[in-house]
Amino acid sequence: MATAEIQLEAPGGKQLPTAASESRAFCLLRARRLNTMAGHALRSMRVQLVSISFASVVMWLGLYILFQQGFHFIHTGLIHVGMRTQFVHAIFNVFFLALTVMLMFSSAIIMYGNLFKTEEVKFLLTTPARPERIVIHKFHEAVFFSCWGFVLLGSPMLIAYGDTALAPWYYYLLLIPFMLAFVLIPAAIGSIGCLLVVRLLPTVRLHALIILGAMVIAAGLYSGWHVLAYQNRNLMTMSWFTDVLTRLEYSEQRLLPSWWLSTGLLEAAHPSHSTTGRPAWLESFYFLAVLGSNAMLLQLILARVAVRCFRVSYSELQGITRSKRNNHVSWIDRVVSLICRPLPATLRMFVIKDLRLFRRDPMQWSQFAIFTSLLLLYFFNVRRFDYAGTLEQWVTVISFLNVAVVGLILSTFTTRFIFPMISLEGRRFWVLGTAPIKRDLVLWGKFWFACVGAIPPCSLLVLASDISLKIVTRLPLVAVIHQVTCWMLCLGLAAMAVGFGARLPNLREPSPSKIAAGFGGTLNLVLSALYIMLIVLLTAVPCFFWTETGWLREINSDQSILFGGTIGLGTPGAVVIGFSLMLILAGCATIVPLRIGIRAFRRLEF
Amino acid sequence: MINIKQVTRTYGTKTAVDGLDLHIPRGELFACLGHNGAGKTTTIKMMVGLLQPTSGIVEIAGFDVVKQAREASLRSGYVPDEPYLYDKLSGREFLQFVAEMYGMPNDVAAKSIDKQIRDFGLGGFVDQLAESYSHGMKQRLVFASALLHDPELLIVDEPMVGLDPRSMRLVKDLLKSRVRNGGTVFMSTHTLAVAEEIADRIGVMSQGRIQFLGTVAELREQLSSDESLEQLFLTLTEEEPANFVS
Repeated sequence: MATAEIQLEAPGGKQLPTAASESRAFCLLRARRLNTMAGHALRSMRVQLVSISFASVVMWLGLYILFQQGFHFIHTGLIHVGMRTQFVHAIFNVFFLALTVMLMFSSAIIMYGNLFKTEEVKFLLTTPARPERIVIHKFHEAVFFSCWGFVLLGSPMLIAYGDTALAPWYYYLLLIPFMLAFVLIPAAIGSIGCLLVVRLLPTVRLHALIILGAMVIAAGLYSGWHVLAYQNRNLMTMSWFTDVLTRLEYSEQRLLPSWWLSTGLLEAAHPSHSTTGRPAWLESFYFLAVLGSNAMLLQLILARVAVRCFRVSYSELQGITRSKRNNHVSWIDRVVSLICRPLPATLRMFVIKDLRLFRRDPMQWSQFAIFTSLLLLYFFNVRRFDYAGTLEQWVTVISFLNVAVVGLILSTFTTRFIFPMISLEGRRFWVLGTAPIKRDLVLWGKFWFACVGAIPPCSLLVLASDISLKIVTRLPLVAVIHQVTCWMLCLGLAAMAVGFGARLPNLREPSPSKIAAGFGGTLNLVLSALYIMLIVLLTAVPCFFWTETGWLREINSDQSILFGGTIGLGTPGAVVIGFSLMLILAGCATIVPLRIGIRAFRRLEF
Repeated sequence: MINIKQVTRTYGTKTAVDGLDLHIPRGELFACLGHNGAGKTTTIKMMVGLLQPTSGIVEIAGFDVVKQAREASLRSGYVPDEPYLYDKLSGREFLQFVAEMYGMPNDVAAKSIDKQIRDFGLGGFVDQLAESYSHGMKQRLVFASALLHDPELLIVDEPMVGLDPRSMRLVKDLLKSRVRNGGTVFMSTHTLAVAEEIADRIGVMSQGRIQFLGTVAELREQLSSDESLEQLFLTLTEEEPANFVS
């Protein structure tokens, strides 16, 4: 007690921590947490680590091959080096501009959750930690979450380009600082925007986000339309390239970080083609310096905004009262209730409860909106291609490819939103576990929730694709097969997400995105992709050869395409067999995971 | 030590704290009582800098908690009703982090951490990850972290919730010892027996205002009653216990 008495007598002697020691403390905190998590993962999650690493490597290699083939295609299509570089520059500009917008939004959303919804920040605000230090600490977390996706997507593309363009060694070395400096810029802009929106528009922050999001989606759709609303059938000709370049000009704004990044990287990749007369590597460094200095400046601005806004915003946000909900059933619930009428009343209530929880969680539905926008953008663009005129023999393949795309996007939805549901339910199990209902009902509720949410939109998207490709009028049977395949995909993916979610739950983690990113979620995603591939191939291959040997035979003389017909794949019998096998596989993929999940859920101790 | 001057705090149209005036001198153990929604936690959150008053001033040791939030928090320790711990840090690592946050020199921090580990009996689990702690263990660690920098003021929100009798005794002894040594304690509680046992003064809040301020004896005198604090509280706040016996 001696120390206590001395300090109580001289309270003025206490010193606030210096900025350096505060920074050191936060670095140490992060290092210790990472170290503990890494140690825990290495000790008790080896299988999960190996699986996740394997899946990531496979995905990375797949992307790398895809990009390399793409760049190779451009290289062989465009002999003129300057034109080729200009074309790649335009592609990079668009790609990085799209990433800039996505990173800005994702960072803003992550920062909102990080700063205003976490217990950690609540704790830190009661300590003498500087508000700007807390914001920067959470900002670095947001950058990390944004960055790994960018690295996973961007690095195979950039390395593939380097390989194709025979870039010098320092191009590869510069990739990491370039990507890091770039990613900090949109993340900082998103974070500043988040703080300002909460400070200036605290009561309408969600509305502001929705309006901004709608504007960005509209801009994305417009630019997609602008680029692809083009009927030149002379693909890969000089006039086609020139026209595409003109349409991509909007992304070539020299004040955009995306332009600095793409220009800097291309300078490094082509040492003999510097446009300024200076050595290319030096030119590349200039762009890196521009990116780096802007990233640092934006961090400084973020810190200043945090000093002025953060504490007061936090306080004001706590003071906002939510409007009382009227005691009536909303129209969405009534519609879902109507759709679920064949289900038992208890099950129906589970579906409606999950829907309410989902739509009242901005973190959930905002990510859902981003996924949906991407899907819509894809389908919006698909109909712009003039398949019927230029790629007629591939129309069946493309239509099945669209079914597969719907399935793949749906698998990300089920993994991200359905898989974590059982884990999250575990935290509320005191109410369900003590209610006089069978545990199985909880799982069936999730399953039907997923089906009701997935089947109508997926079915409509596939139908829209078939209408735009004229499958409905020319090949109605194939359109029916598409619909059935789509429903089977929905059932199987929903069952897998629910079943594996119950078999591999993470009852300690409150964040659904972190649950989905864990071992169970990754396994579910990989198995879902495998399931989609098998289901689509089982129907697509016989259908393709059947249409080739039948309806399209008159217009198609490519013998290689007709090879399938010679081994019996082009017969109606093959279509029936493929279709039946697809149904059997879908049945297994629906029943087996659900059974596994139900058994595990019955035994689960909460 | 605590100076709350004409403080009002609103949540939208609802007034949680309404023109509150409260002065708590050094060396006092003050218990803030009141039913749910009376404004106790809002008052505490304003004292620790989580909320800012809509109007009025809150001063801790002479520092305005809005304008000099860091200086004020340097002089106070806070034990919330639902404490936060980093799951992936051990108790010792958490204490080291808190010591850094409060700008404690390494040698002073090391001594203080050892003292808190001894005082709160953390030795058996302080090097385990916090994710494995029971509620009582967490509460003891949070008390240790709040006292690590030896604050002049300890602010405690519902200190007895979920504690076993031994831990409750530990907390009561600790609070009394802080006050004996010249410190100040502001405690919000629903456990009226504890307030009656250890508080120098009590404040009864209702609808954001102080309805009574004084000692338990003064409350008895005011209500002309020799009843327990629980009954006095119910009388004062006009809440009758529900009659479950037909």
